[in-house]
Amino acid sequence: MDDTLSDAPSLVTDPPVIGAPQAAPRPMLTMTGVVKSFGANQVLRGVSLSVAAGEVVVVIGPSGSGKTTLLRCVNLLEDYQQGTVTVDGAPIGYRIDPRSGQRQRMSERDIAASRETIGIVFQSYNLFPHMTVLQNIVAAPVRVKGVPRAKAEARARELLALVGLSDKAGEYPVRLSGGQQQRVAIARALAMDPKLMMFDEVTSALDPELVGEVLEVIRALAEDGMTMLVVTHEMQFAREVGTRVLFMDEGRVLEDASPKEFFHAPQHTRAKEFLRRLHAVTE
Amino acid sequence: MKMLAPLLHSYWYLFRGAGMTLLMAGAAVLPATALGVVLALVHVFGRPMARAVLQVYLFVVRGIPLLVLLTFVYYLLPLTGIDLPPFWGVVLVMSLYYAAFMSEVFRAGIESLPQAQWDAARSLGMTRHLMLRIVIFPQALRLAAPPFVSQCVSLVKATSLVSIVGLWELTMASREVVERTLAPFQIFIGAALIYFCICYTLALYGRYLERRSLVGH
Repeated sequence: MDDTLSDAPSLVTDPPVIGAPQAAPRPMLTMTGVVKSFGANQVLRGVSLSVAAGEVVVVIGPSGSGKTTLLRCVNLLEDYQQGTVTVDGAPIGYRIDPRSGQRQRMSERDIAASRETIGIVFQSYNLFPHMTVLQNIVAAPVRVKGVPRAKAEARARELLALVGLSDKAGEYPVRLSGGQQQRVAIARALAMDPKLMMFDEVTSALDPELVGEVLEVIRALAEDGMTMLVVTHEMQFAREVGTRVLFMDEGRVLEDASPKEFFHAPQHTRAKEFLRRLHAVTE
Repeated sequence: MKMLAPLLHSYWYLFRGAGMTLLMAGAAVLPATALGVVLALVHVFGRPMARAVLQVYLFVVRGIPLLVLLTFVYYLLPLTGIDLPPFWGVVLVMSLYYAAFMSEVFRAGIESLPQAQWDAARSLGMTRHLMLRIVIFPQALRLAAPPFVSQCVSLVKATSLVSIVGLWELTMASREVVERTLAPFQIFIGAALIYFCICYTLALYGRYLERRSLVGH
């Protein structure tokens, strides 16, 4: 699998041009003052952040800090009560009415269309069990984007080759290992040619020996310039692949730093505590 | 052999009765299934008012025996000026009655799918309609298939009640033969065997669907 990945053609349809004149990086994702509550429990407390095109932003923090909810708000799998989210400049879920300044919910059709631009890979893979691997990957491009089936299947096979699963196209997900299912889930999300990829603790449900193969795929994506928001507990991976680390606790982003700064000299007390506990566990 | 003579002389008459039973059951299963799917969707996606009305309908149907409903349509509906032919009256009652149970079967099928499946479909940009069509229904219907077949078996057996309101089918045909031959034991054993064959075939089909529903799970 590693060979396939290292020599793989680009996974990203529009990678950044290396050596191009340095301009201000285009913000791919912006979140402004996002508030999300489940009943009386406020899970996100006015989160604001920006992810530039090509950045790999790793979100870490203790359980219950709002990391998963943050990702789910980006593509409106969770509705949020306040704030705005844009991906590549296009609002997700809500528009601000220019006259009244009020948030207006977009139509379900518009929300569905905006989700096409955002790929998400879940902790529990969430493949469709009644479809083969190939059907899982081509379903959305064909039915949602109207890509001709032959073209979608060719792209799907290309993606399967990239994640090292060319021989599994005809298998049902139940016959695959967790790591293989997760790689299919990544291929399925990539088949929509998203502008932003989000990973929600994608290795947490895997046996330790299967974690590496999934992280390799994400690493290859990062090297290809895909913009990514990654929630993970894999600190080594965050250190090596992330361009920025966001530390979250109790629904707030408490620290936003480069991996080097964060892991060597965290500023916030909660971040220091978190890393100290983590070291205590791993040592 | 002499003991079975009454049955051997009238088996064709019983088969004709069985044909009528199947016709009646088939005519009721189709609208009951269609209405059951619609009611299940109302239950899952409907507005609170629509769901409240549906709940009342389900409670009423569950709380009244089928025979009472059949009698109501047969004897009381003509008094209101609505005079349905008996066959269609019975089909109407059985459709509305079994739609309530089938809606529960389909609702359970839809709701038993994990939230993760809905999330995955939504995250790929699918509209609700598309998501239902290619992700939710194929899985939910497979899960619902075995209990759906059980409801069909129950419906076939329930057709025996319509003989009470004078409609001719297998049970009524058996009673007529018994009156002629005075051999209730042999004739009702024969009728029971025919019912059993119909229901057992359906049950086997249900098991086949159950096995198929395990593909990919």
